[in-house]
Amino acid sequence: MNALSSQSVITVSNLTKFYGDFKALDSVSLAVEKGWVYGYLGPNGAGKTTTIRTMLGLLKPDQGEVQITGINPTKDPVQALQSLGYAPELPTLQTFFTGEQLLDFMGKIFGLATQARKERIKQLLDLVGLKEWGDKRIGNYSKGMVQRLSIALALINDPVVLIMDEPTIGMDPEATAHFRNLFTTLSKQGKTVFISSHLLDEVQRICTHVGMINKGRMVFDGRIAQVLETFTQQWVIEAELEEVTKTMVSSLKKLDCVEDVKVDGNKLRIELKEKKDLRGEISSEIFKRKGVLLSLNLHKITLEDAYLRALKGGQ
Amino acid sequence: MNALQRVAVIVGYEWRRALAKKWLFALVILAVAIQVLIFVVFNFLFTNPPPGMPPALLEGLEQTKPFMWIVEVLTPQGFFMSLIVIMIAGGSMSEEYEHGTSDILLSKPITKLEYMTGKYLGGLSLLSFVAALTTILGVILAIIFFSPQESLQFLPHVYLAIVYSNLVFLSLAFMFSEVLRRTTLSYFSAIGVFIASLVISGVLSAVNSFTGEQLYLDVSKWLPNWGASNFPSFVMGKLVDVPSNPFISPAQGDSDLLLAGVFVAVYTVIFIVVATIKLVRSDVTKKTA
Repeated sequence: MNALSSQSVITVSNLTKFYGDFKALDSVSLAVEKGWVYGYLGPNGAGKTTTIRTMLGLLKPDQGEVQITGINPTKDPVQALQSLGYAPELPTLQTFFTGEQLLDFMGKIFGLATQARKERIKQLLDLVGLKEWGDKRIGNYSKGMVQRLSIALALINDPVVLIMDEPTIGMDPEATAHFRNLFTTLSKQGKTVFISSHLLDEVQRICTHVGMINKGRMVFDGRIAQVLETFTQQWVIEAELEEVTKTMVSSLKKLDCVEDVKVDGNKLRIELKEKKDLRGEISSEIFKRKGVLLSLNLHKITLEDAYLRALKGGQ
Repeated sequence: MNALQRVAVIVGYEWRRALAKKWLFALVILAVAIQVLIFVVFNFLFTNPPPGMPPALLEGLEQTKPFMWIVEVLTPQGFFMSLIVIMIAGGSMSEEYEHGTSDILLSKPITKLEYMTGKYLGGLSLLSFVAALTTILGVILAIIFFSPQESLQFLPHVYLAIVYSNLVFLSLAFMFSEVLRRTTLSYFSAIGVFIASLVISGVLSAVNSFTGEQLYLDVSKWLPNWGASNFPSFVMGKLVDVPSNPFISPAQGDSDLLLAGVFVAVYTVIFIVVATIKLVRSDVTKKTA
């Protein structure tokens, strides 16, 4: 786990949040430093959005504290949120505004001068691909366009910290790729990007660091490379057979280096306890049980495997 | 950017939000239509008094003519204005929660109190605008059709009295909007309190007329609609010396005027304080619509 650092742009310390009797967050701590792209992973209901909404001061923590650029957003939202941009998951925007009007309104809240707002709005509409739609009412936008405008809104104040809750949901593949590049570019400019996502591929591509939460508890927090290293200690062998029998599976499970065997039709997924190529032992065990092997492959686990393993470990 | 500027931005936002609602326009048009209808009826009565009309009514009608602007200005007050302010404020906070736009607004550099103040002042300025519209229209119609009009120097007084008295239901609806965080429920609750107040005060007034017992009238004064409905007419009764007649209420005593003013203030403060406590102490709820 990351130690909470004085360099942190986002600091979450021992955050606990209850909804009635339900403990939505249980002593969650994380620290995100300048220039990081931090991927926040977790299954539905794990506490990702609750963490984000607490970070923004929308929810009051029952215990613990959040600091954005060293300021607690619950105590001083004006200072804490001045340099922050936020795009919610599946946003609903004010449909009575046009895209330009809503950006202008948000720019006013941030205290941007009229000329600065005009220039920024033009620049942002171009950036998110809504140049032709700026003067149209938001009620006429598609979901993907609303999502794009939401990202533009998050960028209106040229924020130091960008918090995105599932930012590419509802976007077409081209837009998804565009925004992934944008987040990477922003981090290279020294901005800190915090992304909550279900898309492990997206996180693996653009994030420098990752936090994993399950049932309100952090189960991993570290560099992407570290998570892969940590959870790819285990190798996996995949075997395809003509037919899989119960005795074959139980005999494979009894092998010293095998941790688990999962069956999917005529395919076996054999998870190993350590980095060891057991294909020889596996194939001879299968032949002993009169199995007909069609293919046998060894591969390291992906971020998805690591994620699932981390969640399992955190339960 | 200072707090006042942030509040002003939210006031502007609240105007945009309200003006996007067609039903609000419909309600304002209805209030204006009622004013015009009153003129048509009075104009008809003045020009073609029905043959069997009692002399007392005819005399009252004649006495009312120079003060028709007061009749017109106060006509939408009490019922239509109360409904309009409920419709303005009843969804002010709750719609933002329901649509999830409160997340977007409150994740910006603005405090909850600034946000709420902007929302409330936005509603109040809308109320002031609608009251100005109906007041000016009433006066113009009175001047055109029933000139000359007297005591027009008290026009600002009656306008301010109308705005002030409507704070009760504006604040009530605003409070329900924040506390319940459901727009339909908020509208129904505020309208429910308003209708219930009207019905109860009507019943108490009827009982008073049967029994002659003052207590029933005293009890009805505690209802939220009493101050809200009567304060402007009490103010005009105090300022304008209108002979008692069936069309304009006689001047009220100082005690009733003061009591109405105090009740408006007390109810308003209570409703605003409840809404503030709820907003400050609660989490911003997620979208439900």
